[in-house]
Amino acid sequence: MTEVITKQEREEAFAMFYGMAASIGELAEPAPEMTDEERVERAKEVFLKGIDNNVAVQLDACVHCGACAQACQFFLGTEDPKYTPIHKLDLLKKVYKRELSPMSWLNKFLTPDITADDLRDQVELVYDSCTMCGRCNMVCPSAINIGDMVALNRSAMAAAGLAPAELRYMRDGQEADGTIFGADEDLFNFRIQDIEQKLGFEIPIDKKGADVLLMTSGLDIHLFADATGGAIETLHHMGVDFTLASKTPGYEGANFGSLSGYDATKKKLTKDSTAAIEELGVKTVIVPECGHSYPALRFGAAEAVGRDVKFEVMTVSEYFGRAVMDGRLKLEKKDHPTPIALHDPCKVGRWGGVFDEPRAILKACGYDLHETESNKQYNFCCGGGAGNFLLPSADKLKRVGYRIKMGEIEATGAEELVVSCGSCRMNFEVGKVKAGDSMPVESLAAIIAAHLPQKDKAEGDRA
Amino acid sequence: MSLLDFARGPALQWAAVIFVIGMLWRTVGLLLMLRSRPLSKDRKSGLAGAGVKTMFSRFLLPKVFAKRVGFQFLLGWVWHVGFVLTLFFFQVHVLFFKGVFGFSWPALPNAVVLPVAAVTLGILLILLVRRMTNPMLRYISNFNDYSSVIVTLLPFVTGFATFTHIPALAYETLLALHFLSVALLLVWFPFSKLFHVITVLPSRYILGVKFWRRGVEA
Repeated sequence: MTEVITKQEREEAFAMFYGMAASIGELAEPAPEMTDEERVERAKEVFLKGIDNNVAVQLDACVHCGACAQACQFFLGTEDPKYTPIHKLDLLKKVYKRELSPMSWLNKFLTPDITADDLRDQVELVYDSCTMCGRCNMVCPSAINIGDMVALNRSAMAAAGLAPAELRYMRDGQEADGTIFGADEDLFNFRIQDIEQKLGFEIPIDKKGADVLLMTSGLDIHLFADATGGAIETLHHMGVDFTLASKTPGYEGANFGSLSGYDATKKKLTKDSTAAIEELGVKTVIVPECGHSYPALRFGAAEAVGRDVKFEVMTVSEYFGRAVMDGRLKLEKKDHPTPIALHDPCKVGRWGGVFDEPRAILKACGYDLHETESNKQYNFCCGGGAGNFLLPSADKLKRVGYRIKMGEIEATGAEELVVSCGSCRMNFEVGKVKAGDSMPVESLAAIIAAHLPQKDKAEGDRA
Repeated sequence: MSLLDFARGPALQWAAVIFVIGMLWRTVGLLLMLRSRPLSKDRKSGLAGAGVKTMFSRFLLPKVFAKRVGFQFLLGWVWHVGFVLTLFFFQVHVLFFKGVFGFSWPALPNAVVLPVAAVTLGILLILLVRRMTNPMLRYISNFNDYSSVIVTLLPFVTGFATFTHIPALAYETLLALHFLSVALLLVWFPFSKLFHVITVLPSRYILGVKFWRRGVEA
């Protein structure tokens, strides 16, 4: 692997970036002004639009058994009953019961309507104390999709002008010019040129008709160049006909419309990316190591444009993992004397089904993988997913979530952690600093690149 | 008309009518609601099979949750099985159903059903006390949660009182109270969370399909 960013460079960038991220709430435009009646009306409109047969059946299947609390790291870490996942759906349930349930004719008289104060109280429950990780979905005896219904709540809060300032700032910026954290086209080009210089080969940009488009994200551009560099180096090594795109819709994988609850922005960003991808004419898109960017494009593109799309979407670990599994990518098995743990990012794992691929990569690299007690679809969130790593108001909860996750990792005896998601990585890094932990957290893409066979040997193999 | 005549006559009949109409109303109402259809490609095939699998796999608790949820899961299992056995396989109940439907099925001996009913009653009481004393459960509980447990408890309490002929009340009065408690349960059923009897399996199917589309066994 060619080192595209040194440890010291990364630490300096991290300190600068963390300072910037900590102040974005102050940079946000004031929240939209509206009356309490308007807030309630807008929130209800979103709820009513989002309740279909599936949501109704699931809401009617809840018996308030409370099992979901036992799967939620924010409840487990605080034992505060208000963080019980199903409680976060109370407003949605009220609107359903009063307005749409087959029993609404009766419920109207028995169930009080939601108020603007209810909405204000809800903000902490669906942003700060929920990363929509969906672990509660896995324990519920009725299999209620609480995670997706919290997403619907976020949409209602955003419509009511109550999304947290930090996420509003991120959404406003991306709505305006497609960028996040100021990672505009100039910065993207600078970063790619820097990587190009270090890797020593030309990185194709805007190559129409290439087989593969590799996307990146603002977080990687600023901080985790090793993830982008690792993916580029591996694609080059494999001889794949790939390209990157120089315009934001083609390179920015993150979607803060999705995380903040602004559905119109989510759709616009996905539509713009879809148009850019289809214009390039690539067959496959690799989204970056950025958890939510995978479901946003893989499952969101067709929904955004209202038709099937002409490309396949894979995430970094999925693409390279499959290449390892079917023999297209040979990695050099090295001697790793200490065990490693793997974090399955919720949006890629539980919400994306990518489990076997990263494990195949680690095996091919010769790692002794020690699984956490909760793994694959039962994995604990890093504690700061769904954009929560940017919310100072959620700091205490993030640390609680981190502690539970890190506790499981430490229990494996692993001395290193690998993760294929930038925001998980960011949350682990911040959590480590605050807790005084020191376990190295590595990018899977960087690990792949570090295990590419020596060039001469690889070329010999291909010949 | 005596209290017993009223209880096993009009009270039970009207309760049954309300039960049937209420259950049909709510079920058909749900069926008529619109469904969203995803447009993106599935990661896996065999969605219906996966949905059915989740309908049944959720009867078991994943090992990773056993320590924290195992006790309540076990209580839930035993109480539901006990309820079904007591309702449908107690000799007197089988005779009652024969009178209503015109046919019957083999009953279990009293020596089996009575302990089962006692355990079921005990578990219901434990669940009620747990809901009242566990801070998390108390916080999320509402009128529907408490009333549904109490309304389900009453037929067991009155049933035991009738079977054992407790001396405080005349046998006919006890029997009438048992019928009235059953009537209350029937009336309460469609309007309460007890309706989950209809929605629990479809709800599991929905998540099973949703997650298998993405390649995840739910």
